[in-house]
Amino acid sequence: MAKKIGVFICYCGGNISDFVDVEKIAQEIAHEDDVVRAKTHMFVCSDAAQEEIIREIKERGLEALVIASCSPKLHLETFRRLAQRAGLNPYTYIQVNIREQCSWAHTHNREEATEKALRLVRAGVARARMARPLKPIEIKTIPAALVVGAGITGLRTAVALSDLGLTVHLVEKEKRVGGLLNHLDRLFPYGRQATELIEELRREVERRENIHLYLEAEVTKKTGSVGNFKLTIVGPEGEKEVHVGAVLVATGGNPYVPNPGEYGYGAPGILTLLDFHRLIRDCRGAKRFVFNGHPVRRVVFIYCVGFREKKGHRFCSRYCCAAGVYAGLTLKKDFPQIEQFHLYRDMRTYGSLERLYHQALEEGLVFVRFNETHRPEVLETEEGLTVRVKDELTGGKELAISCDLIVLVTGLEGKEQQKLVDVLKLPVGKDGFFNEIHPKLRPVETVIDGLFITGACQAPKNISESVASGLAAAAKSGVLLLPGKLDLEPQIARVNLQKCSWCGLCAEACPYEAIVKEEIQGKAVARVNPALCKGEGACVPVCPEEAIEVQGYEHQQIKAMIDALCKETA
Amino acid sequence: MKNDERFACMIVGGGIAGLEAAITLGDMGLEVILVEKEASIGGKMILLSKVFPTLDCASCIATPKMAQAANHPRVKIMPYTDVKRVERNAQGTFRVTLNKRPTYVDFNRCTGCGQCEKVCTVGRPDQFQEGLVARKAIYIPFPQAVPKKAVIEKRGLSPCSRKCPVGLRPHAWVALLRAGKVKEAYRRALKDIPFAGTLATLCVGYCEHNCTQRKREGALPIRGLLLFAARKVLGADQPPEIAVENRLSTKVAVLDASPEALTTAYMLARAGAQVSLWGDIYKTGETFFSPHVPEWFWKKELKCLEQVGIEFKKEKPPEIEKLKQTYDLIIHLNPSAQQEQTDNAVLTLPFKAEKTEDLPVVLGKVRAWTQDLLKALEHALPFLEEAKEASSSGGERAVKDLPYSEPPVFWSLSQAQEQARRCLDCGLCCECHQCVEVCPAKAIDFSMVPQEVEVECGAILLATGFKLYDPSKRRTLGYASYPNVLTGMQLDRLLSPTRPYNWLLRPSDGKLPGNIALVLCVGSRDLTGGTRICSRICCMYSIKQAQLIMGALPIAEVTIYYIDIRAFGKGYEEFFTQAEAMGVHFVKGKVSRIEETTNNDLILFYEDLIKGGVKKARHDLVVLATGALPQTEVLKVFKGEAPALDSSSFIEEIDPYLHPGRTNIPGVFVAGAASGPKDIPDTVIHAGATVAHIVAHLKEIGWS
Repeated sequence: MAKKIGVFICYCGGNISDFVDVEKIAQEIAHEDDVVRAKTHMFVCSDAAQEEIIREIKERGLEALVIASCSPKLHLETFRRLAQRAGLNPYTYIQVNIREQCSWAHTHNREEATEKALRLVRAGVARARMARPLKPIEIKTIPAALVVGAGITGLRTAVALSDLGLTVHLVEKEKRVGGLLNHLDRLFPYGRQATELIEELRREVERRENIHLYLEAEVTKKTGSVGNFKLTIVGPEGEKEVHVGAVLVATGGNPYVPNPGEYGYGAPGILTLLDFHRLIRDCRGAKRFVFNGHPVRRVVFIYCVGFREKKGHRFCSRYCCAAGVYAGLTLKKDFPQIEQFHLYRDMRTYGSLERLYHQALEEGLVFVRFNETHRPEVLETEEGLTVRVKDELTGGKELAISCDLIVLVTGLEGKEQQKLVDVLKLPVGKDGFFNEIHPKLRPVETVIDGLFITGACQAPKNISESVASGLAAAAKSGVLLLPGKLDLEPQIARVNLQKCSWCGLCAEACPYEAIVKEEIQGKAVARVNPALCKGEGACVPVCPEEAIEVQGYEHQQIKAMIDALCKETA
Repeated sequence: MKNDERFACMIVGGGIAGLEAAITLGDMGLEVILVEKEASIGGKMILLSKVFPTLDCASCIATPKMAQAANHPRVKIMPYTDVKRVERNAQGTFRVTLNKRPTYVDFNRCTGCGQCEKVCTVGRPDQFQEGLVARKAIYIPFPQAVPKKAVIEKRGLSPCSRKCPVGLRPHAWVALLRAGKVKEAYRRALKDIPFAGTLATLCVGYCEHNCTQRKREGALPIRGLLLFAARKVLGADQPPEIAVENRLSTKVAVLDASPEALTTAYMLARAGAQVSLWGDIYKTGETFFSPHVPEWFWKKELKCLEQVGIEFKKEKPPEIEKLKQTYDLIIHLNPSAQQEQTDNAVLTLPFKAEKTEDLPVVLGKVRAWTQDLLKALEHALPFLEEAKEASSSGGERAVKDLPYSEPPVFWSLSQAQEQARRCLDCGLCCECHQCVEVCPAKAIDFSMVPQEVEVECGAILLATGFKLYDPSKRRTLGYASYPNVLTGMQLDRLLSPTRPYNWLLRPSDGKLPGNIALVLCVGSRDLTGGTRICSRICCMYSIKQAQLIMGALPIAEVTIYYIDIRAFGKGYEEFFTQAEAMGVHFVKGKVSRIEETTNNDLILFYEDLIKGGVKKARHDLVVLATGALPQTEVLKVFKGEAPALDSSSFIEEIDPYLHPGRTNIPGVFVAGAASGPKDIPDTVIHAGATVAHIVAHLKEIGWS
């Protein structure tokens, strides 16, 4: 029986319509069999357009919906919700990507791009024609979460999860909690002592019965999927398996250690920012700023060490400018007589942190801007250290600053933790940090449902920003786990038991280990675990019997789509 | 209005921060009310072109979030609403009074079709296009607006309309004439009073006396404009159509033909009553109008009374008792004292009694209007008074406030329009009712008034965002005087898919700009104005704009004048180096002064901090990246202790280390740029963080 299909095509405010003639597609597609409505909208995703489409679905009694717009990654869920509100089964909605896969890819040939888009939409209509209503798979979720890393982000995130009423397993590979902050002194912007913050959180974690802390422990195995993960924690007390609904990664970043010889690193008197924090913490008690037994009279800070480089780390490590300036302010406060020179490239005390830079200027810290092509040179002489630098702001005048101490203001790089990456299947970006699914839509979520990234493992962040992302991930975990149940995607593999004769090829092909062998009435067949299957389809082409297919992408549908794609019209 | 609704959280501000928090809280099963002062949610983000560093289109990200919030079963959105008062209860919850501003459009009926915008006669700078183009006084905020409903921007009544003693809307006919709608202008006046043209000739002109232009370049000839419309319409020999509201079965007898009685009859008939009138209207005309107004004119105007269906009876009126058998209401100007006291069905002018059972609707409307009619007419129309004196036995002469002068006569529409164009649209909407006539959903409702709503909520999230520095304060940069100096937000509008000129053109002459300057840190990092802190977003959005310009205009030169390039976020530095590789020029230097050439090009004076020296550069478009300033007006509504501000006047986070987003008041949180400038990813994360705080707080106070 013919289905009434509605096709809606998006201008995407020019993103599509600048390169594809969307009106022409609407005209052409209206002639297709079963298409009873074809219309364009400036933004199909806008509320007004959605409401209009819903009205049309109801008024015209549409039975399937095709929207030609952007990638389903962006708006599949948006439009499925639309279909649902209109009383359609959300799986009778088909999205055709004519933006990423057409208009953006073919910006120089409008005619052919239009032709391609038209064919893609025709294929979408062919698929919609056969789309069957599906029911999401409902699973029960476990009201517990696992947090990897007990630095400031992990600790704070654990407390937030516990506040939501979730049980928390907090795993730390070191002997004590606190991570990087254990080694830091006072923190910008208000000078809180790092160790105090950690102590406050440690006590809070200890106080809570629903937080289980595992020290010197590691996550070694993960099975299951969103809402129902099984993770193995290996610690001094042996192995333990925990069941959780979500996993939050808070492993932080790695403080950059300069290469030997980089700005003289390795020589006495040349420290990283981290070393400097330790030094000033020790000296404050002694009330004398002494390094290696020598009193320090002049300190040079060099910024952007190891970052914003053509070779090596291209990215900016974000927090180091403010951290460097604040280290200078701390030094000035405790030891006002010490002279300071800060050699920087761009002073990135962004937002309210600009106040720190101002204060530093007012307090007489000297800032010298250098260009990456004329880097400061560190010379070791018998009298001590000298830094030669071309001051960009005085027309490139060369300064030679003799000093007792050089602080290399270093930032955070991605942590080398291949084991964890493999166990959790974490997406690692080019810069070595973990990648979120979308920086604006879903900034703490990853491509793996139920796996969140928080804090500086995503990118360099300061304390406040790390904690904020931890709290945001805790809130998202709450959304996932507090209702107690979760709907999973029903577009997963299904086995035709008559045809299947268990050869095991599908199980081999599956990257999610979702297929197992099963005996049904004496016959060995493949069985798909719906909680593990992602509907990815690796099993489909390898099956010699065509006994396995992905619901919503059945063989018949794919063939119809190919026919539609290849259909020649006059 | 009392309202017992309870919400776990009230969110103030429907920008990206408020939306993110609302959706997340709603998804967690909490009831949320989102208050937005504009007519649509979406905040600043929805107005942007593309967003750094991924160059996603802003609409593609913000629009679905707006739709998701609007359709969320647990999120209630209150657009066009202000928070009026916040009081903290003993239990730690908040009692909030909201003020729903009148939209003058019934949102339940409005379909967002936009017909009203086409016919509206008043233009206003479009705040959603950063004032680059005009919109109408009735407007749908922007194409992706949520809700997509029209609102009318109205600031009370214009002085001319407010001061008209008989309650006409002079602003309406001026605006209609300005739009060339002559027939409509006259018809609009007839909506409120009969023989409007005649009255315009006779009136002393309170409207003109109160016209704002009077003290500037001279008042508009408001009466003359109406007279022009009336003569034009009546001269064309086609009686104007006058709309009659719902026909009622009520029958009214009017036993007089004085101007007041005629007016009353007319108003009742327009409201739908079946009116019969005894008396000779042409005699009235001769007595009152003839000495001052051409006969053809007042005769034709009187004839219009027939248009509304008044039945004129030439014979002598029957006895009142007899009339009562047929009519529900009898209007008699000179009843006997006894009748007046005892008989509710007989009304005298001004109305002293009303027969409410039969005539509530009609009387409700007409009474309010007619009560002061006599007095008003006496004040406004000295001739009427004189005629009356002459025809009756005298009486006390009313004191005239204003001297009379004859209204000017216009002979052509262009002559009239030239005057009408001087109107300043003081009250914004002029109530010309063009929208009322065209609206297919009958959604326009001028009777709306501000509505107070009280709700109780467990927590408050302030997501009020930021505002932008007004660069016209820095005169040396010429923003207010040079058309080709824009703000960064304006450039983003020019680059956006819903852009005003449909291309990137410079405003002065519509030329494609070929050499564009982007000037950073205008009103931020600045000790002399704006804010001393850094606005955090301008470096990156300017780099984005530079890339988009180079995409749109491949041969254009783009120069960015900066202090420091702050490309600090994930992927930002790479985005910056990409712009350098594309050929964007980066000049370290602060622009101190801008001058304009005769062809509207601009000369920038700046100190080149690298190469040294004060230099000049010529550009054909200059864009000022203006600083982000605090927008914390909402704090005024807190009774008792209000959330504290930090030293830059943003809402203070009391513990940014462990509790980012928490203010000094338990239960009040701050998300996004309200606590300091933030880009979109940081705002979204910050808003997510406040959700965790809010849920923990609700648990603490035992909210259920």
